[in-house]
Amino acid sequence: MTITGEIRSSKRRSGPPRLKITSLEVLCGILVLALLFQSRLVDLLDVPKLRTASTVFVAICVQAMPFLVLGVLISGAIAAFVPASALRKLLPSKTALAVPVAGVAGVALPGCECASVPVARRLMQQGVAPAVALTFLLAAPAVNPIVLVATAVAFNDTPMMVVARFVGSLLTAMVMGWLWVRFGKMEWIAERALARLHDHDGTSRWAVFAESARHDLVDAGGFLVLGGLFAATFKTFIPVAWMQTISGQIVLGVLVMAFLAVILALCSEADAFVAVAFSALPLLPRLVFLVVGPAVDVKLIALQAGAFGKSFAFRFAPATFVVAILCAVATGVVLL
Amino acid sequence: MRRETQNILLVLLGGALLKISFSGLYLRYVQKGLLPLLIAAGAIMIGLALFAIIRDIRRGKAVDDGHSHSSRSTWLMLLPVLAVFLISPPALGGEVVSSSVDTNQTQRSRNLLGDLPSGEVIPLSMTEFVTRTAWDESGTLDNRRVKLTGFLARAEGDTFVARLAIACCAADARPLKVKLVGDVPALPNEQWVEVTGKVVPKSASEKNSWVPSFTVESTTPVAQPVEPYES
Repeated sequence: MTITGEIRSSKRRSGPPRLKITSLEVLCGILVLALLFQSRLVDLLDVPKLRTASTVFVAICVQAMPFLVLGVLISGAIAAFVPASALRKLLPSKTALAVPVAGVAGVALPGCECASVPVARRLMQQGVAPAVALTFLLAAPAVNPIVLVATAVAFNDTPMMVVARFVGSLLTAMVMGWLWVRFGKMEWIAERALARLHDHDGTSRWAVFAESARHDLVDAGGFLVLGGLFAATFKTFIPVAWMQTISGQIVLGVLVMAFLAVILALCSEADAFVAVAFSALPLLPRLVFLVVGPAVDVKLIALQAGAFGKSFAFRFAPATFVVAILCAVATGVVLL
Repeated sequence: MRRETQNILLVLLGGALLKISFSGLYLRYVQKGLLPLLIAAGAIMIGLALFAIIRDIRRGKAVDDGHSHSSRSTWLMLLPVLAVFLISPPALGGEVVSSSVDTNQTQRSRNLLGDLPSGEVIPLSMTEFVTRTAWDESGTLDNRRVKLTGFLARAEGDTFVARLAIACCAADARPLKVKLVGDVPALPNEQWVEVTGKVVPKSASEKNSWVPSFTVESTTPVAQPVEPYES
């Protein structure tokens, strides 16, 4: 996003040694201030709404961190141990054919959406076509077994919901992949996202693994927190009670549920339980909720903006939103 | 942001995860099955940071890895750290109950549970109690003395005992409510209680969003349970 770090470090090297305020001093300053004003801070947050928001914020961060860590570990492992040539051999050479393969490969990543962003970026860096990596990015959080089992448990009286979710999400991921093949432009993706890692001569593979994972974690962690901040705010301050009153209007229901999926940013392993609770709505809007949620939500947009750049995220997210709604509706009409 | 600062942030964040894991506070935020993952995540974060720190010390300087374009967003990682160590947000409670839709009906799609245990007073989870009142039409709970644990919530002149259920984390919390009648306790809202009494047969219906009524015989104020949510 900025190159402050580089400018600073180059200045540091060229200039004469003198006392400079770096991020390290800033961090210490913040920590000291926070400790000094701790009780003031606690009092400030002692309002029911703010208390709820802060709990939800911590909950989202805490819940998502293990999956982000899983994602950066896989990403680091790909960087260190999987040569680009192996990936090329694994995937069909024609991108349009590799897209469905990547979609189905999403079954193998048991986690929610936070895990798939660093993995997809690493795949791109290793020379996998962006369309293929993006299909994987969209499919993985929605079609893996853990999510499907959770959906089956939540909707145990309508098993078709599981099938519909699987098909709808896979369709969304593949359509987005094919759209990227046709319309996608490489310049939308920030350069740094595609920069290959330097071949560290003499660096052991384990060091490459650890450094890549650490780097991805630092890169994505802040954006995850940003997404959590947005989601906690929306969740606390947007009343959902009126949702029960739109049961009759199917079009409105679909749009509102799609919108809710974006702002609530629920983990894909939990969203089915929330969807069940909207029992006044027919199944179709609830399916839309389940298909849109893992593909595009505020947490994911923040992570994507961090990993691939703003100009990518602000094109990709709205497109995914529309495609996901259409795919979910089409699947729902056929299957439910 | 300097590499050293990033490493400190990682250690702090990993430390925050370990702190809530070992102190049991994580139960305010996520369901208990996540514990091993939380510990692993915290340990790995600290491990990755330590690995980088040790590597830097060995070389005598921070490794310039050529892609230190880390953005300002990394600073945000400090927020959950400060929240956990300084504020330690409480478990969700009455505010969620009053601002969400009634979700008792979700229990209608759950599988029927086994036979009730025998005994004079049967301790039941709110989930099981609500499931039985909403789903089970054979009236297994009628005339059985039951003990429920939850916190008090009031709305429109009625008093409820409520408990939140979560599937994954507190962001997906949904309230389960039981309306109290009979010897309704005069304790303040959000006070955790154990209420003993009997269900009012057939009191849960579609009209009242499957919120059953419960005739209270006795109430004991209790401390908030270690596990504030049911799952």
